[in-house]
Amino acid sequence: MALCEAEKTFVLHGVEENFRIDGREREDYRPMELETNIVSHAFGSARLRLANTDVLVAVKIEVDVPYPERPREGKLEFFVDCSANATPDFEGRGGEDLAVEISNSLAGAYRSPEVFDLTKLCILKGRKCWKIFVDILLLECGGNLYDAVSIAVKAALWDTRIPLVKSVTVDGNNIDMEVSEELHDCQKLDVTGAPIMVTVCKIGEQCIVDPSAAEELCSVGALVISVSRNKFSTILQTGSGSLHPQTLLECLQTGHKVAQRLHDALIETLVDIKPSENSVGFLR
Amino acid sequence: MSKNRELLSKIGLRLDGRRADELRRIRCKLGVFTEPDGSAYLEQGLTKILAAVYGPHQVRGNRSKAQHDAAVVNCQFSMAVFSTGERKRRPRGDRKSTEISIHLRQALTAAIKTELYPWSQIDVYVEVLHADGGIYPACVNAATLALIDAGIPLKEYVCACTASLANNDVPMLDISHQEEIIGGPTLTVAALPMSGKIVLMEMSQRFHVDHLQKVLEKALQGCRDIKHILDEAVKSHIQDVGSSTGWANTT
Amino acid sequence: MFTTKSFIKKNKVGNYLKHVREHYIRDDIACGLQECESCFPVESFLSPDHENKCALFEFNHYIILDTNVILDQMDILEESILGNVIILHTVLKEVKHRSLPMYKRLYNIIDNPSRHFYVFINDHHKGTYLQQKEAELVNDYNDRCIRAACSWYINHAPKCRFIFLTDDSANRAKALQENIQSLSVSDYITNLNNNSSLTDKLSRKDYHAKDAAKDVFPNHLTNVELLTGIREGRLLQGTFRASRDNFLEGFVSVDSYEDQIIVQGRAGLNRAVDGDTVALELFREDDWVCPSDIVLEDEGVEDENVDDVISKENELKRETKKKRGAKPTGRVVGIIRRKWRQYCGILQGGIDGVYQLFVPADKSIPKIRVETRQAEFLRTQKLIVTIDSWPKHSRYPHGHFVRALGKIGDQSTENEVILLEHDVPHSQFSEEVLACLPKMPWIITDDDVTKRVDLRHLDICSVDPPGCTDIDDALHCRPIDPEKLEVGVHIADVSHFIRPGTPLDREAASRATTVYLVNNRIDMVPELLSSNLCSLRGGEERFAFSCIWEMDHNANILNVRFHKSIIKSRKAMTYEEAQLIIDDKTKQDSVAESLRNLNKLAKIMKQRRLANGALVLASPEVKIQMDSETMEPLDVEVKKLFETNSMIEEFMLQANISVAEKILEVFPDCAMLRRHPVPPSLNFDPLVKAGRHLGFEIKVDSGKNLAKSLDEAIKKDNPYLNTMFRILATRCMLQAVYFASGAFQKEDYYHYGLAVPLYTHFTSPIRRYADIIVHRLLAVICGSDATYPDLLDKKKTTDLCQNLNYRNRMAQYAGRASIAFNTHLFFKGKLQDEEGYVLYVRKNALQILIPRYGLECTLFLARKGETSNIFEYNEEDQTQKAGDVVLHAFDPVVVRLTLDSNNIQHEKFVLQLVKPVVDNFSVPGIDQTDDNDKKRKSPEPDKKKRKKKKH
Repeated sequence: MALCEAEKTFVLHGVEENFRIDGREREDYRPMELETNIVSHAFGSARLRLANTDVLVAVKIEVDVPYPERPREGKLEFFVDCSANATPDFEGRGGEDLAVEISNSLAGAYRSPEVFDLTKLCILKGRKCWKIFVDILLLECGGNLYDAVSIAVKAALWDTRIPLVKSVTVDGNNIDMEVSEELHDCQKLDVTGAPIMVTVCKIGEQCIVDPSAAEELCSVGALVISVSRNKFSTILQTGSGSLHPQTLLECLQTGHKVAQRLHDALIETLVDIKPSENSVGFLR
Repeated sequence: MSKNRELLSKIGLRLDGRRADELRRIRCKLGVFTEPDGSAYLEQGLTKILAAVYGPHQVRGNRSKAQHDAAVVNCQFSMAVFSTGERKRRPRGDRKSTEISIHLRQALTAAIKTELYPWSQIDVYVEVLHADGGIYPACVNAATLALIDAGIPLKEYVCACTASLANNDVPMLDISHQEEIIGGPTLTVAALPMSGKIVLMEMSQRFHVDHLQKVLEKALQGCRDIKHILDEAVKSHIQDVGSSTGWANTT
Repeated sequence: MFTTKSFIKKNKVGNYLKHVREHYIRDDIACGLQECESCFPVESFLSPDHENKCALFEFNHYIILDTNVILDQMDILEESILGNVIILHTVLKEVKHRSLPMYKRLYNIIDNPSRHFYVFINDHHKGTYLQQKEAELVNDYNDRCIRAACSWYINHAPKCRFIFLTDDSANRAKALQENIQSLSVSDYITNLNNNSSLTDKLSRKDYHAKDAAKDVFPNHLTNVELLTGIREGRLLQGTFRASRDNFLEGFVSVDSYEDQIIVQGRAGLNRAVDGDTVALELFREDDWVCPSDIVLEDEGVEDENVDDVISKENELKRETKKKRGAKPTGRVVGIIRRKWRQYCGILQGGIDGVYQLFVPADKSIPKIRVETRQAEFLRTQKLIVTIDSWPKHSRYPHGHFVRALGKIGDQSTENEVILLEHDVPHSQFSEEVLACLPKMPWIITDDDVTKRVDLRHLDICSVDPPGCTDIDDALHCRPIDPEKLEVGVHIADVSHFIRPGTPLDREAASRATTVYLVNNRIDMVPELLSSNLCSLRGGEERFAFSCIWEMDHNANILNVRFHKSIIKSRKAMTYEEAQLIIDDKTKQDSVAESLRNLNKLAKIMKQRRLANGALVLASPEVKIQMDSETMEPLDVEVKKLFETNSMIEEFMLQANISVAEKILEVFPDCAMLRRHPVPPSLNFDPLVKAGRHLGFEIKVDSGKNLAKSLDEAIKKDNPYLNTMFRILATRCMLQAVYFASGAFQKEDYYHYGLAVPLYTHFTSPIRRYADIIVHRLLAVICGSDATYPDLLDKKKTTDLCQNLNYRNRMAQYAGRASIAFNTHLFFKGKLQDEEGYVLYVRKNALQILIPRYGLECTLFLARKGETSNIFEYNEEDQTQKAGDVVLHAFDPVVVRLTLDSNNIQHEKFVLQLVKPVVDNFSVPGIDQTDDNDKKRKSPEPDKKKRKKKKH
């Protein structure tokens, strides 16, 4: 997409007036659609559509050996794949840079034990643990990827059910474990601390959230703020421009406020989602 | 495992309750995304595919592959890492994906009227969300719908289907993953069902030549059945799009 | 309609995957009732004309069965009284999951139109499909599905009546609540009109004694306790083997223990039956005992009194405690898997009433308590009985009568017993199989002639034992130039008639081999093929598969070729006839000439083979002459051997070797070969020991050295000694087995006995299925036949080999059992003195081999477990000494032979020593008639023999 100067000015003025080109206020999000349990053979999944941004997240688990330096913890790994369906630019290895950037920032945001308690994933200290793979598939890019991904990941982890370990027996080097084969005998993960990422975009003198693709082009710089339990877990500055420390603080404040609202809305929605008989998915 | 399992029970039902000549349930939708020029979603049993089409547009990247008399069809097959039972380590770039990409291009090139778009390129991307047997045929079928959604002129639908042989005797249509594991040869056929032409045929495992004819016949029958289903979907999609623009009311 | 089922399963590498499966629900599944007009008409054997007559219901009805009925009461279902039975798919799947043999038996009934069974696919029917509820157990879910299907039938066909049979009282109660008429099987069967024979067959699973009954056995642990116990190493898992001589003793072989673990006494055995997989608790070392060598027989009669057992247990304790050399001992605490099967045997006499005791022929199986109202009749019969349960308050397992085989002691009954005990399929060939046979008259068409090489001009002849009707090999030999001979082996072309995948082929593959009993032959293929079209009879034109060598006069193979051919055998000879022709110098015709050439070549080949280290083994093989009218054995004699036997054998070996090389070359992965593994050196211990005592050193480090040391083990004064050594050597060997070439490493292909790197079976396709497969492979190589998928499938071939090996072993045992039975029959009422040789010297007995009858019997010097006061046993030298008489292993003796028929199931020979004379022990020889004397003088002591079938 390319914008001419006049268009950019129009966008800028709209932001200044707190009346953006699509009619939103500065701290408004575009409409989102969320669906969980959409990948039936994964242990948890969610699809989030934020305007034209489409993210599919699936959670798979494996039995693994804990890191020697953290024998009491399980593992959590993020993998992002940018599908060429989103844009031909992602064909082959074209999407890899973006994918690595997103997965690294997610890994950073989830690293703290207060954000996500990995000790719950330990099966036998130093010997066996669950490894959770969070696989993120970008199907369409309509701006504001970080926010969409973080919400989808949180929802997918909320949806995840880890099989119940019935018994673990140690026989020398051989560890045998028995796991319940019944799906309803599963434990859910605690995701209240899972971070929400908010991209705060500086356009002109103002900060906005959830920039559309056109607004992203007008921005001089952006800050991705991930917030967990009222605390910042990571802050990442993106874009080419530079920010004044004062602006940075303003952005942080805005981000924190918005993230808190988003978190509350999301939890409310997730609690409300009823397990439906047939997932609608892409057929809607 | 395969010892106690038979593909077709004595009462004539398969493990999932289908009869030998029945397809899995096919559900599909055109135009699932706004960004691409054409897109489609297709479920064949539990196998789920998203397809997107970009183009025709200028040849990207290496201009030398442009052709003066036809469009270049570029295909990429990719599988979500969570699409299989056991998690895949990477979504594409492995041998199998590359092979399927090539086969996809082969089947689609045969159906697209490429001669209408010299010096240009058509991109077809397919993404597997859930692999439960018969991935390639489902990709072909989804890609056909996406091409139609993109408005690219086709000679006719290109449809694909697998067939196998149960108990060494009965030809069986549309093999699920469970059936693939149990064993038996699998024949994959992509065809232009209206003219009855075969554009791609692939065989896995050993297949005794005596059985080939009847299995192939069954696979072609499957392609024809799929064509009817796709055709219905396209018609209802056009009606939906048309009615929202008010265009349907004029007739 | 469409739904999915999800479950979590562990995969091979230990990860957990969530699986999702499609499950389609249909609206085109028919109820199968002929009266129904709303369902699609489908093929159904249900018939409104069939009547189930049960006194409890005055109306005709259909029967719906629960899974437990099929699993437990199969013997009732197999009686053709119940009909119009609806089998639900849920039930069918459960049966298949729980027991594959039961599933097969059930399917046999379902497939039989006269039984009126119908399978209703309730789990895919839209009216009867139920979704499993959360936290619902599979069993409860299945029961719910079954009841839903019953209700559906009742609503669907209001004019018909349905009865639901189940032995699960909880399910029955729920069914009644849902207005489904429901009964237990025994209630139904006992009220059936004309039920007399059926009630005997009821499984006695839910039999409960009076509550006051005292427990005879300790409790078994629960499954969970067993599994955790085993996992934590507190308990051991192993296979239980009961002792044949002592009903209060058994052994459990556990993988991790070298010694078998002893279990003793009622509480120790705790209801384990021979073959069961059990869980076992090991005692502390102070409580270990040593294996007893006393004989204890269960003399109990039908009541639950166990006093006699207790006294015997005490006896056993005294016996095993006092000695040293204790072995690991434990007790059975639970059964992991029962290996119950059907048992042959008889009823124990002297019991009145409906409860009878059944005595199995196999001594390692306990007596079984059965309920019958026809005991009087059954006492004269050999029976088949199966075990249903063994509750802890019952001294004996409970079983039920399956069927009677015939009168005790009858030839035909005993043959049936032998065949059953050895799992030999021996039913008549089915119509389906017979339909695959060529139509008679069978003629050779021009088309056949063009596809085959015409060898009808060659002077081919066959040499076989007398009376042989299934001639599968023939030979020819002719000079082609002064230096070269052409030698042909022609094998019946059975694979021409048995096409892959046909019912005939499947039947032959399942039978695997023809079984030879003394007076009966159980054919692998129908008689039309075995004795006519495939048999290379003299003077008839037949199809053959030829293996033709060019050889020089030193029997070196210059080249070999294989092709299908048409031959006409000039003459079918016996070994004796062929020998006469060779020896009769006046005969100069071409048949005689070729026989002489063949014989000459064979001798060179044999010499060369022996030089390479092939073993000459021996096992006493006898032939029983039968009276053709009364079918009674007239005489038992050791088979005579001629030079021609070894001539034929030599060429068959060579043909097999040549074919093996060829098929392996072309099919490195799926060639069917035969290997004979090198026996572990431990096996040779008895042989080496016996040799050492007699001053020979038997080297067993290689086949070649073994062959050499066997050749050198000769004593002038005891000409039979060498044969004895060879008999012992034979017993050290392992079984030769078939295998698919892809399943083993090349060095494991070795055939130890023949000392060849590659071997297969090609020469007897009429009586062995392996040869048919080899023929097919070879036919593909020659371009005269096409392959088919299974032929090239390594896994399928391996599976097939397993069956062939099993059947072959069983056929061999069955043959031996048949000979033993007929030898007993022959000796009934006879008293004879015979020459024999000491095979082993034991503490209280001598093992004697009587070559004339191929018998091996025990001569007791003292009662079991005691030492003799006449004989002195020297463990070091392995001798028994009485006064100045010293008996060594391999010494010749004369013994008196009688048959002890006190136990009709286990008749055995009783020996008494005649020579050497030992005061107070030996008996004087009985006066021999001249005739008997003559026979005895020539027991053909050093005839060495090889059993052809062995390889």
